[in-house]
Amino acid sequence: MTAPPAVVSKAAELRNSFDRARAIPSSAQAVELVEGLLSIRVSGDPYAIRISEISGLANDRKVVPFSSSIPELLGVAGIRGGLVSVYSLAALLGYSREAEQARWLVLCEAEESVGLAFSDFEGYLPVPLTQVYATDQRDAARAYVKHVLRTADLVCAVVSIPDILELIKRRCDNSRPSKER
Amino acid sequence: MWTFGRKIAAGFTLAFLLLVVIGAVAYRSITSLAKTNQWVTHTYVVLDHITEVLSLLKDAETGQRGYIIAGDETYLEPYRGAIDRLPKVVKELGELTADNANQQRRLDEAKPVIAERLALLKRMIEVRREAGLEVAAKDIRTGEGKRLMDDLRRIMDQMDHEERDLLRQRADEVAAAASVAKSTIVFGTVFCLLFVTAAGFLITRSLSGQIGAAVRHVQSSSAELQSAANQQASGAKESSTAMTEITTTISELLATSRQIAESAQRVAHVAEETSSAARAGDQTVQKTHESVSGIKRQVDLIVTHMLDLGKKSQQIGGILEIINELAEQTNILAINATIEASGAGDAGKRFGVVADEIRKLADRVGGSTKEIRLLIEEIRAAVNTTVMATEGGSKAVDLGALQFAEVTAALRQITELLGTTTEAAREIELSTKQQATAVAQVNAAVSDIAKASKETEVSANQTLQTAGQLAGLSRELTRLIQAPANA
Repeated sequence: MTAPPAVVSKAAELRNSFDRARAIPSSAQAVELVEGLLSIRVSGDPYAIRISEISGLANDRKVVPFSSSIPELLGVAGIRGGLVSVYSLAALLGYSREAEQARWLVLCEAEESVGLAFSDFEGYLPVPLTQVYATDQRDAARAYVKHVLRTADLVCAVVSIPDILELIKRRCDNSRPSKER
Repeated sequence: MWTFGRKIAAGFTLAFLLLVVIGAVAYRSITSLAKTNQWVTHTYVVLDHITEVLSLLKDAETGQRGYIIAGDETYLEPYRGAIDRLPKVVKELGELTADNANQQRRLDEAKPVIAERLALLKRMIEVRREAGLEVAAKDIRTGEGKRLMDDLRRIMDQMDHEERDLLRQRADEVAAAASVAKSTIVFGTVFCLLFVTAAGFLITRSLSGQIGAAVRHVQSSSAELQSAANQQASGAKESSTAMTEITTTISELLATSRQIAESAQRVAHVAEETSSAARAGDQTVQKTHESVSGIKRQVDLIVTHMLDLGKKSQQIGGILEIINELAEQTNILAINATIEASGAGDAGKRFGVVADEIRKLADRVGGSTKEIRLLIEEIRAAVNTTVMATEGGSKAVDLGALQFAEVTAALRQITELLGTTTEAAREIELSTKQQATAVAQVNAAVSDIAKASKETEVSANQTLQTAGQLAGLSRELTRLIQAPANA
């Protein structure tokens, strides 16, 4: 039994594309400055995360919950041989905690490894820097969005991971007992 | 309610009984009168005999005196006549008074006196004849003869008085009987006349009422009879017309029956040909049934293969899930490699390019797996549709096989029925011929009925005339009954 012609042509296209990318000189790829973004959805809204602000992407990791005074803290998960605190990105962005399971995690390196959980990951977007615009921060609800990605077919907010990490740090500081300060 | 005859018979019976009673009473009175009259006559006869006895004795005494005076024998003729007659008269008198003891006693008393007187007369005649007139006169002067005659007259007077008393008594009885008979006849006749008049009046009144009612009933009945006769006449006329139409229709029916017989003959012929065609069709259907069975087996095989195809599609789907997961993990690894490369600065750029290509490849693999999943879904849907369609086809083939079996059975039944139809058509042909004969007979019968209808029409007209005459007769009878009342 032979494979259908469409499948054969699709496999050939993939092979050619990979080979062509390897055959192009590296100087030709740096003609235009691009920034890598991850396109995600938080409570159904599109967001983007700069890959330069994160240390990794993971999915389907078991998050073990534990009681805490920080409502955004979902629990801890074991990633790359260490424990990572996992927070709900939706809760940190001001949404109510997502009903569906947040099966995706982006890993951030701060004083300690932090995981931000969200429900949907749509893909990697290498976008030119010219398509990323700064925003006003007058809107308190948009405190953690400083840039907007605007392409021909997509407009979404770019989440500022350092601000999110700062927020987490403040929450952790607030939750510690006062005598330890 | 009493009938006319009974009323008349009762009236006549009562009148007859009255007449019988009156007649019986009159007969009894007349019989009594006649009997009493007979006794009166009898008394007169007895009186005649009493008078005759004295008269005969006077005749004998007269003859004896004449002979004694004259001495001539010729004067003895009255004497001799009396001698001959007197015993007979005395005897008859005894017989006539046999029922009267007094008279018999007196007659017994008179008989010796008569005998003694006759003996004295005879002795005196002999004395005259032998001794002469003087001796005889001397004996006469003794007065013996007168004494005997006086005794006899006294006895006869007593008998006469007795008879005259009886005569008066019987005359009274006759008068009484005649009066009774007269009264009976007069009063009985008057009573009978009154009774007959009353009975006649009552019977006449009753009969007039009843006959009047009956006559009025007859009048109304005759009117109804006239109406019925009119209807009968018109009905008979319509029947006659209808019979004519029926005759025409039956003639047409006869022609139609003959056409039906010819058609039935043709139907029998066609049925035989159809039976042959049905047998040929039965064989064709048998072959088709075998072909359908082959199609059914092929369809079952297709269903089995399609089910296998569906299972294999499911297996492909499972493998594709694994590939998709691998592509996703590859994508994550590539992104993480990109992150690591960007963190490595310029040293990681070439690694970043590789990671980017790996990510693209993983993206494309993921996209391809999505396309393949869609294709597999379409294949599975197509397989399911095909399986369902094939199962539907299998069922249709089953149904077709079943219907072919039914068609085969129906064709066999058609063949059998065609045989029956042929026989039935032949029977129809025969029956129609018989029917044509019967219709011809019916035609003749209907012609007779048409004649009878005309005769009925004539008869109805006669009945109409008779009803008219009956109505006139009832009017005449009414006039006869009501004439005295109106007068």
